Amino acid sequence: MKRTILFSMLTLFAISAAAQKRYDEIKYPKLNEFKKADVEEFKLDNGITFFLVEDKELPLIRISATVRAGSLQDPDDKIGLASMTGGLMREGGSENYPADELNVLLEDKAAFMSTFIGQGSGGASMNILKEDFDELLPVFVDLVQNPLFPEDKIELSKTQRKSGISRRNDQQAGIANREFRKLIYGEDSPITRQIEYATLDAITRNDLVAFHKETFVGNNMTLGVIGDFDTKKMKKKLEEAFGSFPAGTANNLIYPEINYSYPSTVNFINKSDVNQSYVLVGHIGGLRENPDYAKLQMMNQILGGGFAGRLFQTVRTDLGLAYAVGGGYSSSINYPGTFSLFVMTKSSTTAEAIDALIREVEKMQESPVAQEELEDARDRFLNSLVFRYDSKQKILNERISNEYNGLSKDAFNKYVEDLKKVTISDIQQVAKEYLKPGKVQILVVGNAEEVGDQLQKYGTVNEIDITIPTPKSDKPSASGDAAKGKEWLGKMAKAIIAPGTTFSTIKSVGNLTRVTPMGNVDIKITSTISYANYTLDAKMETPQGNMEMMVSNGSGKMIMMGREQQLPPAMVTPMINEMKNSYINIALNADDHNPEYLGMETVDGKEYVALKVDGTSEIVFYLDPATALPAVTKMNVFAPQMGKEVEVVTSYSNWEVTNGVAYAFAYETKNDGQVIEKSKVESIEAN
Amino acid sequence: MRVLKTFCGLLFLVLFVGIFGDNVTAQNLKEFEKKVTEFTLDNGLHFIIIERREAPVASFYTHVNVGGVDEPVGNTGIAHIFEHMAFKGTKYIGTNNWEEEKKVIDQMDEAYKAWLHEKFSSNPDEEALAQKRAKFEELQEQAKTFVVNNEFSEIIQNNGGTGLNASTGADLTNYFYSLPSNKAELWFNLEADRFKNPTYREFYVEKEVVREERRMRTESSPIGRLVEEFIAVAYTAHPYGRPVVGWNSDITATTIEDARAFYDKYYVPSNITFAIAGDVDPKRMKKLAEEYFSDFRGKGKIAPPVTTVEPKQRGERRFTIEGNSQPIMLIGYHGVSDSHEDFEALNLLGNIISSGRTSVLYKKLVEEEKLALQVGAFNGFPGTRFGSLFLTLAVPNQGVELDSLEQRIYDEIEVVKGGSITQKELDRARTNIRAGIIRGLANNTGLALNFASTYMTKGDWRDVFKQLDRYNEVTLDDLQRVAQQYLIKQTRTVGATVKADS
Repeated sequence: MKRTILFSMLTLFAISAAAQKRYDEIKYPKLNEFKKADVEEFKLDNGITFFLVEDKELPLIRISATVRAGSLQDPDDKIGLASMTGGLMREGGSENYPADELNVLLEDKAAFMSTFIGQGSGGASMNILKEDFDELLPVFVDLVQNPLFPEDKIELSKTQRKSGISRRNDQQAGIANREFRKLIYGEDSPITRQIEYATLDAITRNDLVAFHKETFVGNNMTLGVIGDFDTKKMKKKLEEAFGSFPAGTANNLIYPEINYSYPSTVNFINKSDVNQSYVLVGHIGGLRENPDYAKLQMMNQILGGGFAGRLFQTVRTDLGLAYAVGGGYSSSINYPGTFSLFVMTKSSTTAEAIDALIREVEKMQESPVAQEELEDARDRFLNSLVFRYDSKQKILNERISNEYNGLSKDAFNKYVEDLKKVTISDIQQVAKEYLKPGKVQILVVGNAEEVGDQLQKYGTVNEIDITIPTPKSDKPSASGDAAKGKEWLGKMAKAIIAPGTTFSTIKSVGNLTRVTPMGNVDIKITSTISYANYTLDAKMETPQGNMEMMVSNGSGKMIMMGREQQLPPAMVTPMINEMKNSYINIALNADDHNPEYLGMETVDGKEYVALKVDGTSEIVFYLDPATALPAVTKMNVFAPQMGKEVEVVTSYSNWEVTNGVAYAFAYETKNDGQVIEKSKVESIEAN
Repeated sequence: MRVLKTFCGLLFLVLFVGIFGDNVTAQNLKEFEKKVTEFTLDNGLHFIIIERREAPVASFYTHVNVGGVDEPVGNTGIAHIFEHMAFKGTKYIGTNNWEEEKKVIDQMDEAYKAWLHEKFSSNPDEEALAQKRAKFEELQEQAKTFVVNNEFSEIIQNNGGTGLNASTGADLTNYFYSLPSNKAELWFNLEADRFKNPTYREFYVEKEVVREERRMRTESSPIGRLVEEFIAVAYTAHPYGRPVVGWNSDITATTIEDARAFYDKYYVPSNITFAIAGDVDPKRMKKLAEEYFSDFRGKGKIAPPVTTVEPKQRGERRFTIEGNSQPIMLIGYHGVSDSHEDFEALNLLGNIISSGRTSVLYKKLVEEEKLALQVGAFNGFPGTRFGSLFLTLAVPNQGVELDSLEQRIYDEIEVVKGGSITQKELDRARTNIRAGIIRGLANNTGLALNFASTYMTKGDWRDVFKQLDRYNEVTLDDLQRVAQQYLIKQTRTVGATVKADS
């Protein structure tokens, strides 16, 4: 009985489902015809080319200028110049409309103006109500032509950009995409270089003024104007407003030569506070100017085209390994793009996801795609073509972009015709020719502890150091007498290491007290340092248990409770620097330094010889004039946790000589005046 | 297929409260009256059709008045999981044999529940646990044999569909895409089918996808971690304190049976609004709506309301979370829902103090004192259906201590409480709000989204324009009063990320 009821319910369901027709039974009406918007083109004597499109839907007018300029032009020591110029044109206002005035004027009218310079193009735009056009057009022209670049806004821009640098390793995706590009194009290429503290510091107002003057000229500029206006009247207004713009000379952006040798590499960046790996796998891509372009695009559709692509289907839907997965072979206009696949997956399935990505590439090469798969991909493309021109803005944008990139007006039509002809064997042929799944570079940004040794099966894992280069000291550097400097450093060296003394390691046993906000922590340390190759072995007895720290060949590890852990470069580098900057090392290598004598200076009521020494950063040694032994050292060190430079002052006392080496048996270190560390040494051995 | 990005949500809110001149808005409303057709089917489903003949395309938008806030205890994340399931097909799309597949899906759910009960029993038996898991996994593999992978999304894309996606927020779930306008019937067909006949296909694999989404947006993102912690601290009782993506263990605990119950309660006609904007004929749209949606179940059903009210906060709450990134700080004050008379005043207040280069927080803290890389204040977080937070986000510049930036924000808020805002500033904020509305009406997706969500929350799409009357009524005294009333230490929550080693 029960069964019958269930049965009849199922039938009911079947009937109600049948009540709706299937999607493939729908007969669609013809698509309404529509006329693509007309684009009016004209050129001024000074070289500016205009494209105008009337769009009366809303009472708005938008102008956007495209300028041939880019960070490609940045000098090596002033990376950030183009970007800063682009930002400051708007931030700093113009001669007739300084920033504060301009901001009020625009915001009162809910009008927007902006300026920018990117890697390979720059520009300026405004978006305003049409009734404000006559009043705001001259403002826009003044902003583009006569930016003020005031010093206070330059300072603000530098501060903000420096904060940006300090935050650039906070997000996984940012790190991964940046470092992957470096793997493909090289570290110092104009298309991968990064703004650093030092390159920002080097940029002056004159640089900005000159860069703007050279690039924002008529012969470099294309203007698109769209909105609620009458073309004839608009032409006249534009001619008047831009007629006196300087013509200048056309800029030629030079892209670097890319020589790619298809290395197979495995790279890892540790980020301890994530539980998902951000994976990128790939190699170099190609150029837009390529007879196989349409075939490659169709291959991309099948491999990684959104919900329907194979990567999405396999890695996400079937395997449940990721929310975000995708990628393809990119073809760029000015330099080869990249072939890259990405996936974000939990740490424990990192290798499984990499294998799945590579497998999909291999499949594209091994077997032909199904006819239906190809037709679906083609349908997706052709049926959505109408969206390419569904607004007048898009039509204008495409026209300007083709113009800028030197593509013919019908480049896109040609591409559509090519797409219609792509066959199954074309897809397999380009997959075989352009994709090299056996010669990929793998980059994983993830949690080292959780990922474990999963990557080792792909080859030797290269750990990439993404430590942010510290900014140059903002304290003015004193300069002094070089000859006297040599003399005093020589005296110091002799005082520390008695002539004729030879040793390769120093072993010390002592007690260290770390002063922390939670109270003092006492640690007993036995350390052995070799200054010949900067190796360190430190055994520590801490309240949390025993631990050992080792540094050699530029890398370091820590052993605690029987567990060995690799130390990140961000921890190892400061330890190596500390060895290099120690008085013993400076004394050992006194001849390699170029010290300067800064004169006699008073510290804590006593007179000392101030000696500036070029360690890994600048150190001032304050020598006792009688013994030539350092009583105090001062240096400025960038503390990444605090995001600023701190003054590190160490005072040395209780000098004793052991095996010909003078050693301070007590010292105390202060950061910005706060005691952070005190040490008492029990014994020393120099061997 | 995503959790509504909290900050996008906020920005959107700020954007869509505005116009240029009052007359411009009035004109716009008049023009839209001509272009908009509305109708409600017998079962209560409401449709808004907006004619826009710019190009032969149309955008389709489904707004469901259900979000994280409506979820039962123990099933956080279920609204979002259901949203993912809506892409899995119907009784004939995405399957090669629904009759057989359904049997296996049901068995699979039973097997999962058996495993779940063992796992969370007081004394789980390891062997039984492994056996039950194996049984479940075997059925899951079996269920996979019926699946035609992603067929539902592919049909849309093969027909030229673009912008296919969905999102789930604290207050709402929405589904949207665009089609060449001659294919409008395809949307009716598929949308009706997926919401009339949800199948829960690939449910448990998809939960793993959702878990990866959680790892990406929350667990591996400094701001994501901070926001999750922040709402959990700011709300003691109200479900606004729970993450929309769900707690990890709740994602584990959620079954197909739970998802069915959720669907039955919340996906009812009174809780759903559809909007179509583009090159479409309203008469034909109405005919299609009747053809496809008139048998949608649940006529007269009302979704259960949220009954928990956040108790009054008894004092400031402060916390930090450790991470390996530069500091970020959130400061939130308990405020009001969007139906409260002070909502618009608080929106304006946030706008005036932090939006644009002339705002006081930007001018003082970013420009002059160079303390902040970024500082912003928004009203209406994490949702607006219920008592929400007035939230300030502060990102300090390199080398600036969080507490000095925090103190300066409080100083400036005190100045505002003293009545420092001028009429000029108020007018400027209103103008920008108006401009935001106009600019948001320039595309099909924006139109469909604004009109449907406004209908759902305010009962009339015209409120897109009429809300301006409420903004116009706000006075300088109101701004001072709401600042004094709501921006107080006692109802404040302050949270920040700090470096693990500092």
